[in-house]
Amino acid sequence: MSTLPSPTSTSSRSTSFPFPSIYSFPPFFTRQPNSQTWTSQLSLWNSLILAYCRYNRIWRIDLNTAIEWDLFNNRDINRSLKLETCKEVLDSMVKKGDAEWVSGSGSHVSKNTSAIIYWRRPEEWANIIADWIDSTGQKNTILTLYEIAEGDLSLSQDFRGIDPTILRKALDVLIRRGQAQIMKSADGEEAGVKFFGSQ
Amino acid sequence: MGNYSSRPNRKITKQDTAILDMKIQRDKLQQYQRRIQVILDRERAIAQQCLEKGDKERARLALRKRKYQAQLLVKTDSQLETLERLTQSIEFALVEKDVLFGLQQGSQVLREINREMSMDKVERLLDESADGIAYQNEISQMLASSITNSEEAEIEEELEAMRREEVFLQLPIHMIDANYLLQLVKNIPTVPETELPQPQRGTAEGEAEPEEEPARQASKSRNRTEAEPLMA
Repeated sequence: MSTLPSPTSTSSRSTSFPFPSIYSFPPFFTRQPNSQTWTSQLSLWNSLILAYCRYNRIWRIDLNTAIEWDLFNNRDINRSLKLETCKEVLDSMVKKGDAEWVSGSGSHVSKNTSAIIYWRRPEEWANIIADWIDSTGQKNTILTLYEIAEGDLSLSQDFRGIDPTILRKALDVLIRRGQAQIMKSADGEEAGVKFFGSQ
Repeated sequence: MGNYSSRPNRKITKQDTAILDMKIQRDKLQQYQRRIQVILDRERAIAQQCLEKGDKERARLALRKRKYQAQLLVKTDSQLETLERLTQSIEFALVEKDVLFGLQQGSQVLREINREMSMDKVERLLDESADGIAYQNEISQMLASSITNSEEAEIEEELEAMRREEVFLQLPIHMIDANYLLQLVKNIPTVPETELPQPQRGTAEGEAEPEEEPARQASKSRNRTEAEPLMA
């Protein structure tokens, strides 16, 4: 399970995140009626969200809680982004491939509240993991998915604590390249992966 | 490692699943340890709180629970170690298997190469080349001897010429055939060129008419031959 960062913990951590100057510009938090302005506003939000998530190593955004993060609330200028606008922003990110809606876990009635944020695309993650496997001499070995994200060997890696869905997508890239194969545990769950040398 | 082509290792083998199962167990143990660690911390916090409130009994209970969890943690530690050691030995055994496979292949290749280089073949080859060498030697010997023969003849001729010259020089001047003398004079030019201290005596003369040198030399020796009979 990926533990979503609670608003308090993010706000305490994100004090160090250097917000861009646009963040202190009040109209930035209001949906602009002019379509051209709105487009550029969207792309600004897009890159801000990516940078913020990369900085704080956030893999998923759940709008129900994230709407209270300081990312969407600038208390200094007393502005915050509305939930609908936020959804629109994420929608455009999904269209660009920088994010992906995930079906909420069961109880969520409303769709599109939780999204994976690709501050690196699965292909990039695939390359990073493949390089790591290569440099640590782990070809032809079996690793558990948990081990890749949480194991001792991946401690200082960029993919430390990677969201399982993103990891699975990155591994899919490697599988398509013939560099890996998913293994199932005794209870039929996808739990491990075997890496091969590249040709 | 070139065993990719020779071994279908892009497959999940039984060993692989066994290793995976063990690693999953290890992961579970690690997760369990983390949980225990959280409980340990919590029980300690509870004990502290209770102590602050003056509830000694509750604090003791919390600490007792904590102790039990700590024992569990130690136990799981040793289990984890066992599990990891087993996994590592399996992985090492697989590496050894690969090494053995490599050795096998190497020795097989070596055997094949050796078979191609049979003793008979080598012997025959050596014989053949020995024959060839002998033949070559014969040819060069023949060539060498023919050359020396002709050279020998030349040497003989030269020797004869020298001897004749000596004889003629011994004779009184009037007994020397003029034609022969002329020829002798023409044949001589090599001699003065090798010893060239002449320019020191008469630089201008020597450089101006080097052609005359042999003639002078000849006349000198003729002078000497003229003098000899006088002395005798």
